[in-house]
Amino acid sequence: MEHEIQFVVNGESRSLTVFSQQTLLEVLREDLGLTSPKHGCSTGECGACSVLLNGEVVNSCMVLAVEADGAEILTVEGLATEDELHPLQKSFIDHHGVQCGYCASGMLISAKALLNRTSRPHEEEIREALVGNLCRCGAYADIIKSIQVASRARR
Amino acid sequence: MISRKPHVIGKPFPLIEAQRKLTGVTCYAGDEKISPDMLHARILFSERPRARFRLRNLDAARNHPGVVALLTGRDVNGRMGHTVADRELLAVDEVIYAGQPLAVIAAESPEIAAKALALIQVVYEDLPATLSIEQSLSRGAPAVHPDFMSYRGAEKLNSEPERNIAHALTFVRGDVDQGFAEADVVLERTYTAAHLQHAPMETHGGVAQRQPDGSVTMWMHVQAPFLQRAIIAGALGMSPEKIRIITGCVGGSFGGKVFVSVEALLAAIALHTNGRPVRMLLTREEEFKGVFMAPAMRAHIKMGAKQDGRITAIEAIYDWDVGASVDAAVFHLQAVTLAGTGPYAIPNVSVRTNAVYTNLLPAAPLRGLGVAQVHWAIEQHVAELAEILNMTALNLRQWNLVKGGDHLFPNFVMHASGLENCGALAVDAIGWRPETPRPAQAEADDASDRPGVGRGMALGWSPIILSDQCGSSVTIRFDSERLCDVVVDGVDIGQGLYAFITQIISFELNIPVEWITVEPTDTANYAPDWEASYHNLLWSMGHALLRATGEMKKQILSCVAKEWEEPISNLDIVDGEVVSYASRRKLPLLSLLEEGMGAETSPPSFSVTATYRPPNVDGSIDSQLQSFASTAYAAEVQVDPETGALSILQLAAAVDVGHALNPESVRAQIKGGIIQSVSFTLLEEMVFENGVPVSTDFMKYPIATTADMPLQLHPIVVEVPQRSGPYGARDLSHHVQVGAAPAIANAIYRAVGVRIRDLPITAQRIYDALQEKRARESGAG
Repeated sequence: MEHEIQFVVNGESRSLTVFSQQTLLEVLREDLGLTSPKHGCSTGECGACSVLLNGEVVNSCMVLAVEADGAEILTVEGLATEDELHPLQKSFIDHHGVQCGYCASGMLISAKALLNRTSRPHEEEIREALVGNLCRCGAYADIIKSIQVASRARR
Repeated sequence: MISRKPHVIGKPFPLIEAQRKLTGVTCYAGDEKISPDMLHARILFSERPRARFRLRNLDAARNHPGVVALLTGRDVNGRMGHTVADRELLAVDEVIYAGQPLAVIAAESPEIAAKALALIQVVYEDLPATLSIEQSLSRGAPAVHPDFMSYRGAEKLNSEPERNIAHALTFVRGDVDQGFAEADVVLERTYTAAHLQHAPMETHGGVAQRQPDGSVTMWMHVQAPFLQRAIIAGALGMSPEKIRIITGCVGGSFGGKVFVSVEALLAAIALHTNGRPVRMLLTREEEFKGVFMAPAMRAHIKMGAKQDGRITAIEAIYDWDVGASVDAAVFHLQAVTLAGTGPYAIPNVSVRTNAVYTNLLPAAPLRGLGVAQVHWAIEQHVAELAEILNMTALNLRQWNLVKGGDHLFPNFVMHASGLENCGALAVDAIGWRPETPRPAQAEADDASDRPGVGRGMALGWSPIILSDQCGSSVTIRFDSERLCDVVVDGVDIGQGLYAFITQIISFELNIPVEWITVEPTDTANYAPDWEASYHNLLWSMGHALLRATGEMKKQILSCVAKEWEEPISNLDIVDGEVVSYASRRKLPLLSLLEEGMGAETSPPSFSVTATYRPPNVDGSIDSQLQSFASTAYAAEVQVDPETGALSILQLAAAVDVGHALNPESVRAQIKGGIIQSVSFTLLEEMVFENGVPVSTDFMKYPIATTADMPLQLHPIVVEVPQRSGPYGARDLSHHVQVGAAPAIANAIYRAVGVRIRDLPITAQRIYDALQEKRARESGAG
């Protein structure tokens, strides 16, 4: 079955026709060309497809596109402004918070949500916030450091 | 060498690709949009480890609306392999492992492809299978490959196919019988390590399209595009120039995207879709059950020592369960044989390694090449032996340690290494001074003020082998349009390759980083027989880069020298300008490229290609052995004696990298290696039920999350220069893993007095061992 939906993604209003069974991940990637959220597991275990849905982190592989009707969505494509990277992006670059990079979008999104809630998180809080984002390269230590430094820079 | 820009080599350098990765621009598998009419491929995998089979209802699948092509082993029948062609592209009549491809389909959408595949009925008639090393080696076991000797390349391996030994290597020195006769103590133990998964976050996939000339272009994210070109072409009976692989960044490989698994099927199906591009992206379940696993190990170690601590003999047998294919594991076997004694100079040695076929998923080496598993055995064994001899394990290790100048193999003399230093630094980092001999009762530990806390350490050495695939070729072009454009044959798998290339070129040519662009790797840039490096890239590509930049500099300077009528030796490049130390003249390289040397000459452009080729193979065990890389791990753990629950309080890894060209990047790689090692050691095990993988998602095959990180990580960079390496550096990807597991096991022993000899170390295993120990003690008491 087809549905007409409308949502705001990275500040831009979009109207689309989606099928009932289509996930938000699929619509973002295939219909809107926003490929920063990645396929990792399709079962909500790895966090590679994380996006912000009305300010909350969701695994976009576990959300149906129709559920996002009327929502506000942020992907990594919407993090930087035209002329400036987001402080998290800068910090991840400076502190080696990325290796192969496949998990990076999910990490940034989870970090963004955390910083929205808590402006200066402790290491323990960062670990907890990232527990649903798998990084096979094991870059967690530098990812945590990147987030810590970014949170300090924001103040 | 004159240090022209000391701030570049050995100092922090940004990761060139990081910004693209962090803004979502970098392409990974599934991101390429080649055209709107792209098709989607899916594979039908075998559900049985060994069976005769028939496919029914193929016509229904083929005629399903939206299906464009369907291939079975009756349509495309090829054997696949690099050293030995022991895999089939698609099974014909019989399957020899669960996860073996039976059919591949291309359809308008992934859903249609899945629906059509579900229409196919697979009728199995089960045959006897062998599912473990023990079973495969036992008398009367079914042969996994009864026709092995007919396979292309079979004669190159030292095999006994009727006994399921796919390949075996031995190394013998001295006389072990005499060595054991001289020993005061002889200790024999068996150690095992489970099958693991590479489990990259990016599953296998890519896009393929047939071109009008009949060739196939593939956009893939693989670690070894040149090797894959050769294997895919061989499997499809095409010449290598008909397969073109374009590779961007890889979303994790760890050895799992070196050899071909499903990629050949993607190429095969793309030949049957009338030029429409086909995308394949495996699901996580398929990634677990249909690609590769890492070999499991069973090690039997017998070691003899004198009362004074001299190890007199070692007899080690390492059996590796390589599943139904040895092809990817041939190189692995050489590495584990060379590493087989651990980092000890023992006069009498017998090391045998066997690659054993089973009816399980094919194995491909995982980061560490099995050397980490070898140390799992050796470094626990040494610790136990030390206890029997009533000396510290550290002393026993130092007493027997390999030293520079030791003539270890027929063609190999040990070089200076950071072994001893690594050990001292790792132990020191966790605040441990292991000076006094440990009593057998670990409760009386130096950490006795903290019950259940213990510390342990392990050393490691890891051979760096310049295998056949360790060549590298680099082309640097310099012109006004693209400035410094670089074509390479290596691939960024997260190790920071683009930064490495940029750093060396910027340093050697003394030009700004911003001028340099590294192109995506494309097999079309190189001759069809070129098999470029997929590991030891720092070595191979480093040397190629040094040659290329040296030649480029010569070309540029001689062009200017001629015009200035000065000897080239007067000239240099400094901060992007050609300068003469004699005449003090200056010419910015940008003006040279844009305007040339004068009105009468056209602007020059420069192009240099340089190649590094590995030394020739002579078939001996130490053929192409270049060096040993050293590591040490020290661990502090806490064990709950009631439940067996384990926490790692501190983990230190000291890694000899020769020379850290980009120190922060090196530390990042070490930290990643530590966390990955914790994951391999405590969490990971590929579980099969009747030969069928049941570890098919991250719930059933957990990998480390932030919750599993040790509380404190201590990455330690040790620098004992590798004289023959670029700038004295050596590769570090593999040896970072070596020593973590036994250090943790040794710490557990000191915490609660039990030895875990099977990987992974689970709370259940610790609990069981504690129960057994209590039963033994109460029985004895």
